[in-house]
Parts: sequence; structure tokens; C-alpha cells
Amino acid sequence: MSYSDKVIDHYNNPRNVGSLDKSSNDVGTGLVGAPECGDVMKLQIRVNRDTNVIEEAKFKTFGCGSAIASSSLATEWVKGKTVDEAMAIKNMDIVKELSLPPVKIHCSVLAEDAIRAAIGDWKKKQETAKPVAVEAQ
Amino acid sequence: MAAKPAPAETQPCWSCGSMGAAHFCEACGRVQPPAALDYFAFFGWPRKLNIDVAALDKDFYQLSRKLHPDLNARAGGQEQEWSLEQSSMLNDAHRTLKDPVQRTQYLLKLEGVEVEEQSKSATEQARATGQMKKQIVPPDLLEEVFELNLQLEELRLQKKMGEDDPALSEEVGRRKLELEEKHEALLEELKKVWASWDAWIDRGDGEQAVAQDERKHALDKMVDVLNRRNYIRNLVRDVSAALES
Ligand code: FES
Repeated sequence: MSYSDKVIDHYNNPRNVGSLDKSSNDVGTGLVGAPECGDVMKLQIRVNRDTNVIEEAKFKTFGCGSAIASSSLATEWVKGKTVDEAMAIKNMDIVKELSLPPVKIHCSVLAEDAIRAAIGDWKKKQETAKPVAVEAQ
Repeated sequence: MAAKPAPAETQPCWSCGSMGAAHFCEACGRVQPPAALDYFAFFGWPRKLNIDVAALDKDFYQLSRKLHPDLNARAGGQEQEWSLEQSSMLNDAHRTLKDPVQRTQYLLKLEGVEVEEQSKSATEQARATGQMKKQIVPPDLLEEVFELNLQLEELRLQKKMGEDDPALSEEVGRRKLELEEKHEALLEELKKVWASWDAWIDRGDGEQAVAQDERKHALDKMVDVLNRRNYIRNLVRDVSAALES
């Protein structure tokens, strides 16, 4: 199977590889897996408390080239977006951008799941962090 | 073979008209046209998972002798073609049913469970509700897979640089043994699920209908065990490769 140039570019120069402090209150962590192939992907975001804008995103993926490219692209895309905007990213957007073939669609699904999981984790932290303030409004 | 009831779908023998000829006719011995049967039915068995492999092998050898295309060569064109098709189906059926994992996967497919579909529809559901997707494999397993992959990466890097940290190799070697044990244990877990599936099959038609959730529960559990086993299998493979590199 041949990868598109964009996939190869992300694969060779993955953006934002690394990790953020998992225990920090403004960091959300998503760890997801694709049982079909056994790959795992971790995606983390740091969110600005006041603006809800994602200021930093990091990932680490153990998987195929398409999964690495999808998560690399995902970190680029979420940066600068609010969490709500980031929630709107669909795997098919990734498929289109990277010209992924049908057999590699599940790799992009993994990236979408990871974004959602990271945001979900962050939201959970915010709820537990300031339950009273939210209710008072 | 004769004692086994022929599957309901089979036609009478095209040549002599005897009833219930599945692969070849018991009465006149002619090869029959292949019927559209699933692999269980091909052997005249119910869709149960706990099968007697010795019996499977025995049936396989008996049938393959009778269906061998060379033996049916003199019978001429049509019959020889049938025996060719029947033998190739026999080989596929035997290979699939003999292996416990393949057998389970095959059953899932027959029962309309698409493992990959499940993951996709879970994503769609998460998207629609704005919720986090329910991960198909448990989080602690994902965590374990991730951590071990980090260690493997470290190990590979060290080896490439010509360094060797015996403590790390040893640690990874120990993990490998643990994983292999887990891999085995999951097969045992799978066999337990077989028992509840087979119990459902053993219920009569009327009772099966009321026990639908039993059926679903067993199928879901099979998917779950196979998914976890997949992860472990891939890990064992990667660990071995890293240790040998
Ligand atoms: S093949 Fe597994 S994520 Fe691509």
C-alpha cells in the first residue's frame, strides 16, 4: 500500500510528539486503542481556563503510519481551537486531508476518539474542580 | 458419518433420488453439487463452539478421501467439478473450525457480529451525544499496552546505540512471560464463554427467543475476549522482536 505525501510527511516529521503533565488540572488526556490492529494512541491537550482555547497539544502513538499521521494532524488542528470547536473535528476530515484509503479509515477514527477522550477528561476535571461556581450561575 | 443427520437444507441425490445427501450420496456414492452451507452445517453439526476436535479430524479425513477430485476423475466433468468445490470447502471448513480463535471469529461473523463495525458505531454514538466514546478494551489494558510500548522503544533505542541496560532487558523479558501467560488465560476465558453460548444453542426454538439477552451477552463477551487477546498477541510479538533486535 502506498501512503500519500502528506502521510509520509507527518510520519517523518511528526508534529507535537511528547507528553504533558497528566495530573495538571488544565490538561486533558485521551488514551484510546483500535482493537482491530492493536494500536494505541495518547493525545493530550492543555486548555486555557478563561478562554477554553486549546493552547498546547501533544501525542504519542504506537501504530501504523496512518495512525501516526492522523494524530499528528489532529494535534495541529486542535491547537488554537476552543474545546467546542475541536469536538466538531470528524474522522472524515482527517481522511480527506491525508487521502487515506478505506482500509485505513479506522486509524483516523482513532484520532477522533482521542480528541474526544482528551476533551472529556479535561471537562471532567473542570467539573470536579469548581462545582460550586458552576451551580451558582 | 452415516449416523449423523444430514442438514435440513440438503437436496435428495441428483442421481438416484435418495434423501439427504450432503456431500456424496450414501446410497449410490455419487458426489453431490455443493450446497450453500456454513462450515458447521457442512459437517452436519449445530453451531456449537465446544467441539470435539478429534471427531472433526476424523470426519475431515473420511470426507476428504471420498471427495478427492482424483477419485472422482473418471466420473467425468460435472461430478469432478463438484468434488473439487466440495473438497476446497471441506479444507476451509476444517481449517477454520479446528482453530479455537478462528472458529469463534467465524461464528461471530455467521451471527452477524462485525467487530470493526462495533468500533465505528461506538464512535458515531459518541459523536451524536457529545460523550466520550466507550473504549472497547478496558482502560487499564490500554495503559499497560502504552507503557510497555514506551519501554520497548527505550530498549530498541539503547540497542541501536550499542548500549545495553541489562535491567531493562530483564524487565521486558519478565513482562513477556507474563503476557504469554495472559494470552493463554484468555483462551481459557474464551472457552468459558463457549459454554454459555452452547447452552443457548441447546435450548429449543421457543426458549431461544425468550433468552435473546443470553445470546447477546455471550456474543459480546466473545468479542471482548478476542479484542483483549489481540492486544496481548501483538504485544508478545513486538516484545519478542525488540528483545531479539
Ligand atoms: S492499522 Fe492500526 S491504527 Fe492504523
